[in-house]
Amino acid sequence: MAISGAADTIDAATFEQILEMDDDEEDREFSRSIVYDFFTQAESTFAKMDTNIEERNLKTLSELGHFLKGSSATLGLTKVKDSCEKIQHFGQLKDETGTKDLKDDDEALDKLKDIIAQAKEEFEEVEKVLKKFYHDKS
Amino acid sequence: MPPSLSRSPSPPSVAAPVTPSSNFNANEFTSDIFCFTLIPSLWFDSNLILRQVSDSFLAVIPGRQREEIVGLQVDHLLSQNTLPTLGTARKAIRCADESRKPYELTDILPGSPTTWSLRVVPIYRHGHLRCFQMELQDTTIEHQRRLELQERVSANETFRILVDTVKDYAIFMLDPDGNVATWNQGAQMFKGYTRDEIVGRHFSNFYGQEDRANRKPQIELEVAIRDGRVEDEGWRYRKDGSRFWANVVITPVYREGTLIGFSKVTRDLTERRASEARLIAAYEEASKLKSEFLANMSHEIRTPMQGMLTALTLLLDTNLDSNQLDLARTIEESGTVLLQVINDILDYSKLASGCFSVSSDIISVSDIVHSVLRSYQRSKTPSTKLEAILDPKLPKAAEGDSLRYRQIVQNLLSNATKFTEEGYVQVKASLQEENEDSYLILTEVIDTGIGVPEDSAGSLFTPFTQFDNSATKRYKGTGLGLSICKGFVELMGGRIGFRPNPNGRGSVFRFTVRLKKVKQLAHIDELQDEFELLDMDSPASPSDDMKLAAAKKRILLAEDNRINQKVMMKMLAGLGFDAIDLAADGREAVALSAHHPPPYDIILMDINMPVLDGVSATREIRDAGVLTPIVAMTANALKGQAELYIAKGMNDYVSKPVDRRLLVKALLKCLKASALEQLPGPQSSSISDFIPNETVTNHERARKNSRLKTVEDHIEETMKLRPVSTTVLPSLP
Repeated sequence: MAISGAADTIDAATFEQILEMDDDEEDREFSRSIVYDFFTQAESTFAKMDTNIEERNLKTLSELGHFLKGSSATLGLTKVKDSCEKIQHFGQLKDETGTKDLKDDDEALDKLKDIIAQAKEEFEEVEKVLKKFYHDKS
Repeated sequence: MPPSLSRSPSPPSVAAPVTPSSNFNANEFTSDIFCFTLIPSLWFDSNLILRQVSDSFLAVIPGRQREEIVGLQVDHLLSQNTLPTLGTARKAIRCADESRKPYELTDILPGSPTTWSLRVVPIYRHGHLRCFQMELQDTTIEHQRRLELQERVSANETFRILVDTVKDYAIFMLDPDGNVATWNQGAQMFKGYTRDEIVGRHFSNFYGQEDRANRKPQIELEVAIRDGRVEDEGWRYRKDGSRFWANVVITPVYREGTLIGFSKVTRDLTERRASEARLIAAYEEASKLKSEFLANMSHEIRTPMQGMLTALTLLLDTNLDSNQLDLARTIEESGTVLLQVINDILDYSKLASGCFSVSSDIISVSDIVHSVLRSYQRSKTPSTKLEAILDPKLPKAAEGDSLRYRQIVQNLLSNATKFTEEGYVQVKASLQEENEDSYLILTEVIDTGIGVPEDSAGSLFTPFTQFDNSATKRYKGTGLGLSICKGFVELMGGRIGFRPNPNGRGSVFRFTVRLKKVKQLAHIDELQDEFELLDMDSPASPSDDMKLAAAKKRILLAEDNRINQKVMMKMLAGLGFDAIDLAADGREAVALSAHHPPPYDIILMDINMPVLDGVSATREIRDAGVLTPIVAMTANALKGQAELYIAKGMNDYVSKPVDRRLLVKALLKCLKASALEQLPGPQSSSISDFIPNETVTNHERARKNSRLKTVEDHIEETMKLRPVSTTVLPSLP
């Protein structure tokens, strides 16, 4: 089951694994619930990230990144997952590959602001694609 | 009276007797002194005319008679004479005259073998010069002695200056009790004490507290006396308390057999030690990076290779004309070899980087030997006999890494069949020794092949060597096989070796492995048989196997992310688990699972969880004595982490997002192993789960339940779960 227009945002094999769990291919109740749960989770996580950016709370930001990485990975939302991984690294004062140390909190926060903004965009993009897939006009 | 007396001239008129006596001939007495003095002497009057000469002088200037020379003026006399030369004689006379004292010149004839000195004594009567007495003296011995003395003094001085000024070494003497006796600049620079501060104090002042408490300084002196020398490297302390890494050599010094003290030479090796440490660290880092790189690269190459080979297998089953078929087969063959090479390198680099761990599952030596032999029946030459000789005492089941054991046997057998054109290849396995908890199994692979030349036998197990370079042309391989075997054997507590076949041609490769005994052995043999039945009777897909294994099993899922919880629950339910519990963090997981008897058959554990992470939770569960298999799940899918998690007490590892097929593989492996190990197991598991008659019904039910799969799906799944090379594919419709 391919999702049109999302080749590089969604990993087909992983997402299909979720789709295969649907008992009914028409209403896709299971996968739909997972995907919509994810929307909720992502939105609340992004909100928490915003608060923690204000409070300069790097450790929590890293944990939030890891948290959302886990669920986006499960759904095969590659781009969001990759950005979340970077959030995880920046929060640990590492560069985006997690190998080199960043200069200080300020550098990490700057990078975090950018990458969180990017993650949100990527999320919104994939959200549109998925909503369309589930014939949601809202 | 010597005859010469008669020839002697009349005594000089100056020699008047002072106190003549009746029986004393004064003239004769004076003349005897002149003639017979042992010191070669000459007497000149104040006009420097020679008046008298001694026999001893005549003896040193051979060829001249007394009569010829007496009466000659000094210039005339000595103009042709070399001893003494006119110059020295005149100089001595002048100086003696001027100083009115005896005057001596030493070494008047430099370069001659005899050293002569010349003394002129002016003789006065009533203040008026009467004559000069000139004496020659052979001072060769004294001169020699003086020269030696001078040399010695100058050498001593040189050494003293040398020792004093050397700044890179502390060189000093200790007295026999170990008190500092001398001190040099180097010592002062190293240790910070001036000569006055340290001389007389014991040398243990340079040692640290601990060394002093251990009597190291005293022991060093004792060893130096016993062995003639002692050398040591260690920390030494300066006056200001700072320390440096020193090399110290202490040598006892004897004079005429008596110990007069010790010489002590100290070098500061702090910098060298630091650079050595840096070098070692850099080397280790580089070597680790290299191995990691190799391991990663091999891993990265292996995955697409497997994909290619899978696709190729499918391609081979399509309608190809003979030409295409030929090409495709060539690709397949080369691909298989390449994959083997990559696998070898991966194994080798993992062994080299030390991150290889042997797993512990149930192993049956005879089964493995049989199964490996079967796979080589096809590749041997028709004139080679392939046989297994198995010791009936071999345990039916033991604990060990069956995969690695199989790999070793496979490798040795592959070599043996490759190099044997005719005769036989035997695999012999026997029980060497048995104790309370383990068996030592000896396995030998004996062939009648080309053998190994004597001079190559030593390097057989060295990586990247093949004993015959010309053989590489004929026999392909990486030259890694035997060194990998060696690595595996050593990891399994055994040894590997080679010897020529005692029955003539060929080789014997032999290795031992130590296998742990399995608890509750009685049940095992029985179960083992059942499993074999199950395995053999298993044309079904792995997910059928899974459904079979999952039935009536209780599984705990520890995962904090709700999305992942839902997906995993659904996936597990789909695999046939009907009793799934959920823990939202590691603390909950421990609370749920750490009980006796263990409430779960298997635990799926996320690594990164709040409150208590998966690794810590595992540790607590293991500490509680609960051995339920734990499969780790994490998105930090770094290479080599499987070993890491296994080392932390987990049994297997799947990366996130969880691939269902890999999950099935891990679950199956753990459930099977634990069913064998933990009998009687947790409440739910029982032997009946695996009884063959249920198998049939389960299979059927599973088939009905499972979604319709295309044949390709099925093949792909089978391919992923079994080694490519041994898969025999069903032909496509």
